[in-house]
Order: sequence, then C-alpha cells, then structure tokens
Amino acid sequence: MDVLLAILSQFGLYGLLTLGVAIIFAALRVVNLAQGDLAMTGAYVAVTATTVAFGWRVLLALALCVLPLLAIERVLLRRPLADGLATMLVTWGVGMALRQGAELLFTSTSRTVAAPAGGTVELLGTPYPAYRLVSGLVAVAVIAGVLLVAYRTGWGLTMRAVADNPTMAALLGTDPRRMRSAAFVIGGMLAVLAGALYSPLLAVNPTMGFGLLVPMFFALLFSRPGALGTAVTAALLVAALAVLLRTWLTDTLADALFYIVIIGTAALRSRSHVRRLLSWSRRILSPARSS
Amino acid sequence: MVPSHPFSRTVVLTSVAAALLATTACSGSAVSSAAGDAGAPLKIGVVVPLTGPVSETGKALQRGFELGVQKVNDSGGVGGEKVEYVVVDDAGDPATSTQLARRLIQQDRVSMLFGTITGDTAEAVSRVAEDAKVPFGTAILGDTEGCFPYSWGFGESTRQILEPSVPELIRTYGKRVAIAGSDYNYPHFYAGIAKEIVKSAGGTIVAEEYSPLGQTDWQPVVTRLKEAEPDVLLSMVVGADAVAFSRQAQQFGLITPKLGYDGAPLDSDYYPALSDLVNGRTHVVRWTDQLDDAESKKFVADYRAKYKWTQPLPEVAGNAYFGIQFFLAAAGKAGRNDGQAINTEIGRLRFDSPLGKGTHFEPANHLLQADMLETTIGPGGAYKVTRNLGPVADKVAKQGCA
Repeated sequence: MDVLLAILSQFGLYGLLTLGVAIIFAALRVVNLAQGDLAMTGAYVAVTATTVAFGWRVLLALALCVLPLLAIERVLLRRPLADGLATMLVTWGVGMALRQGAELLFTSTSRTVAAPAGGTVELLGTPYPAYRLVSGLVAVAVIAGVLLVAYRTGWGLTMRAVADNPTMAALLGTDPRRMRSAAFVIGGMLAVLAGALYSPLLAVNPTMGFGLLVPMFFALLFSRPGALGTAVTAALLVAALAVLLRTWLTDTLADALFYIVIIGTAALRSRSHVRRLLSWSRRILSPARSS
Repeated sequence: MVPSHPFSRTVVLTSVAAALLATTACSGSAVSSAAGDAGAPLKIGVVVPLTGPVSETGKALQRGFELGVQKVNDSGGVGGEKVEYVVVDDAGDPATSTQLARRLIQQDRVSMLFGTITGDTAEAVSRVAEDAKVPFGTAILGDTEGCFPYSWGFGESTRQILEPSVPELIRTYGKRVAIAGSDYNYPHFYAGIAKEIVKSAGGTIVAEEYSPLGQTDWQPVVTRLKEAEPDVLLSMVVGADAVAFSRQAQQFGLITPKLGYDGAPLDSDYYPALSDLVNGRTHVVRWTDQLDDAESKKFVADYRAKYKWTQPLPEVAGNAYFGIQFFLAAAGKAGRNDGQAINTEIGRLRFDSPLGKGTHFEPANHLLQADMLETTIGPGGAYKVTRNLGPVADKVAKQGCA
C-alpha cells in the first residue's frame, strides 16, 4: 500500500509537468525548458501569499500566470517558431529570467509552506500524510480532466488536429496561432499548478525546477508527439520505476539503476526492429478503421 | 546546511571539477612568486559565491569578512597601512574558483586568500594557495579528510561538533541512532566520525541512509528510517534537500518531539524554513549572535546596522569576522607581505577572541582549537547559549599536514 501511495504522489507531480510539456510540444513542436521554472513560480505564490487559504493561493497562482504565459508565447516564441532550436533556447532564457527574478525577490534560501491538511489518514491500515494523499488525488483528477477534454471534446480534437498537421488544420478553418497560444498557456498552467500543489512537500527555492526537469524529460522521451495519453502513461511508468527501485534498493543504487534502465530502454527503442515491433503491436491493439 | 558544510552540489560536478583541476595541474602554470609586493599595503583576495544556490551564505561570509577588516583598519591596519581586499564571485563553481584565485595572486598580487563556501571550491582554492605559497582561510563548518599546508579552517570540525552533542543526545533520547545524509564525500566522512562517537557513547547505529542530491521524494528513505525505530536521527542531508527531507520526515511522523534530531538541518541557515521543527532543540555551534561579550555584541550591532539585517546572523559571518582578524594578527607578526612568512605565523599564533582564549591551529590538521557552545534554538531563530563547553580539541592528524 505504501508503494502504491508513493507512486500516486510521484505520478501526480510528474504527470502534471509531463502533460503540460507534452501539450506545448504537440502544438508548438518545442520542448519547453522553462517548465520546471514555471512550477517554481507556482510554488512561490503558495509560499508568499499567506494571507489567503492554501486552496485560494493555488487558484491565485493559476490566475496570475495566464497573462504572462500568453505574453511569453506571443512576444517571445511566435517569431522564432520556424526554428525549433531557437525557440527552445528562448524557453531556456525564460527559465533563467524566472530563476534570477526569484533569487532577486526571495533570495536563494529555501522556504517551506505548511500543509493545509496536517496529520495522517488511515488507508487499509497504513497511516499516510493527509495532504500528500490530497495533492496526489487532485493532480490525478486534473490530469484525467485534461485528457478528457483533449480526447472527448471538439476543442481537444482541434488541438490534436493542429498538432498533427497545422497546415491542413489552417486550411479547414482553424487558426493554428490561437491554438498554439492556448496550448502554451494550458501547458504552462499545469506546471504552475504542480508547483503550487506540491509546495508543502518540497523545498521552495529559485532552482527547484531543475530537479523536476529530468523525470519530466524522460517521460516525454517515451511518449509519441501529440499523443497526450502516451505522455501520461510514460509519466506513470517513470514514477513507478523510480519508486519501486528506491523501495527495493538503497537510494544511491536505485538512482544509478534508474538512469541505466531509462537510457537502455531509449536506446533499445531507437533500434529499427524494435520500432517496427512496437508499431505492429500498436496496430494490432488499435486497428485502423475503414471509415 | 547548504551552504555551510563543505558540500559539492553533485558527484558529477565534483568529478568534472577534479578533472579540470587535474588538467590545470598538468598544465604547469605555477603561480608561485607572484604574490605580495613588499612595502605595499597588505591585500587579501576574497573568493565567494555571490550568485547561485549558495550565494546567501557567500554574502554572509563576505559581510563578516568586511566588518573584520574594517575593525582592523579602524585600529590602524597592519604595519601602519590600511588593509585592502578584492572580492570576486566564483558562483560556487570550483573551476571558476581556481581561475579567480590564480588571477587574484598573479594580477592583484594578494598576500592571502579568504572565503569559499562549498567543499569543492575550498579544495580548488587550497590547491592554488599551496602552489603560490599564499595562506588561505575558510569560515565554513565541517572539515574534510585531507589537509593542505597553506589552508586554515576557522569553522568547527566534525569532531568538535559531534563529540559534545552525540553523548548528550544518547543520554536524553536513547541509544538507537540513525544517520541520513546526502550522497557525496562529506556526509560519509561525517557518518564515519559519528559512528565512532556513537559506539564510544554506548549507542548503536540502527540505520544509515544516503540519497543523491536533488531528491524531491523522501518517502522510501523516511519509511526505512522509521522502520528502524531510532531514538536519535543525525542528518547530514544538505541544501534544499535538508528542508524537503526534514519536512517530509515530519509529515510521515518520523521527526517528533520524542526523537533526538541534530545535524545540518539545525543550522541557522535553515531556520526560516524549519523553525517549527527545530525550536526547542539543542545544537552545538562555535559562535552565535546571542553571545553577550562586548566584541560579539558590537559585531552583531554593526552587521545589523550596515546590512539592514533583521534575521539571526549566520554563524559563518561570525567565523569570518573573527577568522580574518586572526589572519591579520598573524600578518602583523610576520611584518611583511610575504605569504610564506604569514603562513608560518598563522601556525604559531595564539589569539584571544570570543571564540576562545588562546585559540590556535593544530599543526597536524590545521583546524582551529577553540571553544564550543551548546545552544537551544528559540523562537525567531535565537540560538541561546545554554552551556559553554569550553575548548573542544580536535587533534586527529590528517594527510597533507601531519
């Protein structure tokens, strides 16, 4: 039970970040290197806006980030979009600016925020920190909601169409630029939510986003561009792998093995016969429809 | 403590730094004979991280250092001349520390070096100082396995911290001791000494856990520690990890008032983040801003006034303030701006300060032999002295100086 709860908690954090970066990647075809730093800004709102209840702070963080995210996409990312590398470097610059800004405003000293729900709850005889459970469940609910919107609504269909073929989507009457803006804002908001929601479990400091980037990139590595479901599944697998290894082995050994498994799997996937096998298995599992 | 214990941010970074150091060592760019102009005012090079993750501690060291130099200059300087200094920012990166230390010696012609926060940057500057035969002083807490002939540590050593604190923790809370640490050299070194002292105090080590730096989820480690049912937890989990570890250990019910808890997370650097968790606990330190001697009080008042500081003063600032006065007293005795002569005098000097009467360096390990204080952490981060432990010796010889 302990292990399942640990996976739930880690999946909530990695899932929100990975889903956010996957949405941005789908629409803009760029890896948002500022995703961890956006989480950091969310955490700082939760730490500093202490005059309001924790739940309101999370909502405040989400509300405050919309306009800056929109401005970043419109002013900084739209122009160099033709060059993927340039856009990615712009996101790195945005992340650096956020880190430096946080250091100037709050110094590099770590801060913490009290969990809004203290104490423990009993789950099948296992005592578990109440807020840790709440944050995991909220994160999973949000992830499920976003996937539902992406796969069961017209807006989600349009977004996936832009991700799949922006030229065709534009010819059919969808404005890809508007969709890209929306995708960047939503992807960024998921990161801000992750930071704010998990702030009572983490040390909040300007560089906290770095530690969150690695598992998120690993999950992105194992997902298919535009297929948000695969990004979420990959985040779940990465979280499960990390937790299981750290449960069975010492942290040092688990950490080394985690990287070996991830890199080994990525190398294996890149081999042509393994790629073909994966492609066939996907067709068998979900055969193409004739209509 | 992030910052104050000699920690390197990642094992990888340390390896890269080591490789870079090895490369520079092989390049044959010796910096000897460049330092110290005879007859000119004494000049000190200060290498500190003013940007990056440990910048707050770096700034505290710089402030303590500057006030220390100001005090000496107000009393006439060294050899009738005002002492000068050059401050450079190494951002906590050992490769940068090496370059800057070389530049300070070759271009700025400094006669001594001071500063650094992390263990890897201290080692980088120590090598340059040894090469150039220029004394180098650090104010960081903790020590390492090695020793350099031109490096002198004003921060308390691991033994000076643990020898008074561990037996007391065992007496108060119980004999079952667990150790947790970040996975790099210093926490292993700390654990080695802790195990030795726990054993001699009649305790048992029931768990030992190390985790790579940058860990966000501590559930598996905390679960294993909790299963061992310790009475005392010694933590050398450092940096931001110290905060996340302590907070999650508290949420999982490992850290309770019934558990003896000591180590890096109780340092004043972490007080703003962990105040509710450390209030009322005891912690052994070399200097605290709660000391009531006139010199400490003046330093605290000057620091607060000059830097508009309202929080507790970091211990590293006090170590730097009194440390640089020790160095300058040795320079005064040497009578000339020659690094080698000053270094010899540092080794011989007996210096009275709030850190103790006749404080001096042990030749076998270059660690300052000074008083230690048992403090109780109070609301607002007041590390009130509850017991003066007197001089706590650490004479264990180290390779490089023995």
